[in-house]
Amino acid sequence: MAVRSIRIYPDPILKQIAEPVGALDDTVVAVIQDLVDTMVDAGHSVGVAAPQIGILRRVIVVDVSKSKLGRDNHHGLLEMVNPEIIEKSGSRLMREGCMSVPDYTGNVLRAEHIVVEFTNRLGQLRVIESSGFEAVAIQHELDHLDGLLFLDRVSSLKTDLYRRKQ
Amino acid sequence: MNHFALTIVGRDRPGIVSQVTEILFDLGCNIADSSCSILGGQFAMILILGHAEFNCRESFGNAFKPLEEADLTIALRVLKPGGEIHPALEGEICMVSVYGADQPGIVYRVAKILGEKQINITDLNTKLVGSEERPVYVMILEAVLPAGISEQDVNVLMNPLREQLQVDISVRTIPTVEL
Repeated sequence: MAVRSIRIYPDPILKQIAEPVGALDDTVVAVIQDLVDTMVDAGHSVGVAAPQIGILRRVIVVDVSKSKLGRDNHHGLLEMVNPEIIEKSGSRLMREGCMSVPDYTGNVLRAEHIVVEFTNRLGQLRVIESSGFEAVAIQHELDHLDGLLFLDRVSSLKTDLYRRKQ
Repeated sequence: MNHFALTIVGRDRPGIVSQVTEILFDLGCNIADSSCSILGGQFAMILILGHAEFNCRESFGNAFKPLEEADLTIALRVLKPGGEIHPALEGEICMVSVYGADQPGIVYRVAKILGEKQINITDLNTKLVGSEERPVYVMILEAVLPAGISEQDVNVLMNPLREQLQVDISVRTIPTVEL
């Protein structure tokens, strides 16, 4: 159990593709716990992906239940190993900020509804349907596993990217 | 570092950006901020340049002559110190979309109402779409709402224009999320 420091771009690890997790052993459980601890410690955060704490494995955690936008529509704490989006539909525009890219926020179009498959902490295969803010958060964190930042998703620097309020 | 604003406009064709930026590179200019786009049949470039030694128009000598010979129109503005720094704009960012049958005064009337409320327009694009017989005018602007003015207030401010101009106007702020 540990709060890890968040890697900040241009740390090259953020642009690498994370390795799938094989057997769900103690090291994976430790990564999940570190991600949860780090997310909770960064009070404003609703999700963290393993590459953000320097680990190139396909693990993310998401919990939007404490946030204003997500509290009415969520699955609580999601600990996702090898997550994969198997269906997506609709679209929603949000201005995303990321702990790994401080100072800027960007308008990103994401799917409104997703069906995502993953293995949970107990090694069970789960499939959930998610929508709204939680779906956006899952898509944002999953992008980290493929070396993608929201900067890879904005279409216009002038109208989509904003310097964060100081 | 001194700063300049350079604008270049000319009939669009492949190679304008490379011709312009080669000259700037050879001069030792940094492109600090820029926006270039095709408007009508014209390619329009607006660049904020920095240079360690240049301090006036004359510093550039005849460097832009080849561009003028290539039928591009050039304007150079010398910025006062600090003129290159983007101001910190406090407030919620609001998008306003206006569209409807083309007619004179759409941009002016919307901008007038926003200006009177000290709402700062930070980006504005317009386009004529639809067919030649039934042209449709589309404007999308981004504005910073000062304290005390909400998305709903802007929406209400637009009501008289919806009536007068018979255009559709949508006002929305985009939620900012920390992930």
